[in-house]
Amino acid sequence: MITVSRAPPYLAVQDSGGRHARASGVPQGGAMDSFALAAANALAGNPLDAAGLEWALGGGSIKFERDTVFALSGAKVHATLSGQSVAPCTTVYARSGDELAIERISSGRFLYVAVNGGIEVPVVLGSRSTYLPGHFGGHEGRTLKHGDPLPLGAPPGHSPAAGCHCAADLLPRYEMGIVHVTRGTHSDLFDEAAWHTFTDSEYKIAPASDRTGYRLEGPSLRNPVGTLPSAASCPGSIQVPGDGFPIALMADAPTVGGYPKIAVVAEADLPILAQRSPGETIRFELITIEQSQRALRRRASDLHTISQLAIRSSR
Amino acid sequence: MNTTTLRAHPLGDSAVAIEFGTERSAALLDRIHAAARLLEAAGIPHVEDVVPAYLALTVFYDSHHASYGEMSAQLLEACEQTMQHTRDAPSPRTYVIQVHYDGMDLDAVAAATGLSVGEVIARHTARAYTVDLLGFVPGFAYLSELHPSLQLPRRPEPRPRVKAGSVAIAAAQTGVYPLDTPGGWHIIGRTETVMFDPTREPAALLRAGDVVQFQSTG
Repeated sequence: MITVSRAPPYLAVQDSGGRHARASGVPQGGAMDSFALAAANALAGNPLDAAGLEWALGGGSIKFERDTVFALSGAKVHATLSGQSVAPCTTVYARSGDELAIERISSGRFLYVAVNGGIEVPVVLGSRSTYLPGHFGGHEGRTLKHGDPLPLGAPPGHSPAAGCHCAADLLPRYEMGIVHVTRGTHSDLFDEAAWHTFTDSEYKIAPASDRTGYRLEGPSLRNPVGTLPSAASCPGSIQVPGDGFPIALMADAPTVGGYPKIAVVAEADLPILAQRSPGETIRFELITIEQSQRALRRRASDLHTISQLAIRSSR
Repeated sequence: MNTTTLRAHPLGDSAVAIEFGTERSAALLDRIHAAARLLEAAGIPHVEDVVPAYLALTVFYDSHHASYGEMSAQLLEACEQTMQHTRDAPSPRTYVIQVHYDGMDLDAVAAATGLSVGEVIARHTARAYTVDLLGFVPGFAYLSELHPSLQLPRRPEPRPRVKAGSVAIAAAQTGVYPLDTPGGWHIIGRTETVMFDPTREPAALLRAGDVVQFQSTG
């Protein structure tokens, strides 16, 4: 078990999401940076889709109640384990009673903590992820508070050796801030000028950005149609409301929407967008669906490499 | 004979939108609902979710095991076939939902429509509605089509919290709030029927294409 000893402003249980109930209006959900959670899981000796902690907006601490291994990934933080500094993307050994303290998040937005065995909250509709707007999933459908106990699953057979580390070249290039997109279902409704503006400009993440969507500040794009009959959306859909300022839908976005979609973020690059904080900028680059799916498979193969690294270290 | 041409578009790496038409109509929506039911029954490998909406059916799939090219070709073919066999689609299910017509906006709706409260209730319960699609929040079914005399624009200011079970109307549609959420529709009643329960299988009471009839508990 682990316990929350000092809750940060946002801490919630998330896994890879995917409740497969979109036809019932249930969003995909899951980790905002699914790559970072999967990488942390690999380094903690877990299946890639195990549940971990998603941590944002400030410092806090959790306490380990059993000897185990864990790993951090995602946002860059100042972290210590009972006073000793903790390296990111590295398997770390914790003894029962050790406290993991995050002093502050220095860059990026979402930190992931994966613990060997995974966080064993109940599975709701096929996922352990927390869906805050619906008050279900995760731990009692809410963010975690001081004193919350989180059960860990049985260790999954192997425990990577402390110090097992994943090289930076296996991670998304977060620092570049380049986000690849494919054409959206309504890309033809936007004229050449709108496309030029969209791909030639910097967009800044607006303050009103959360797990549902990131509002983007920058040159507005002429929306020629206003709203359309509702159609399916997915995380990464970039919709353009009447005011012309695009909104990128994120993990907890509703399953349908009526604004035209100019583009969809490549799943391989969704982590890069997710890790941008309000005030930071990004640029969009258009690629084909074939390129986008190839990039996604490269990410999957990078995660496989990290898993193999961890498994080999455990022998 | 059906001469409509279906078109496929990618919606990101893991979904294909199959566009059935460009003009919204009840007939088009019926075809899309029938195709959705047939596609679900077909059990095509790597398909995760089939989401019908007004002009298109969107199929979410496992893109680690199927490419857009393979998936879109397969789905277009399957949808073309369903267009020939829409009569084989399972019939829509019908639900009766009991409503206490005591909503906080009932009097205001009566005043705005120039009807008596009794007439508002009578017209809301007089017809059967079709579930156009689900969305907004889990289990929220958009039901069509409201009697023209009951059609009002949504409230100018959404309420920050509408209670689960609230029965409401806005524009040409009616619906039941499945969860406590913000909402801008006019609340005319409430029901004990649980529209969405994440621990239930299936979690949502309704699915697209179902038929709903409201009944007043008096």
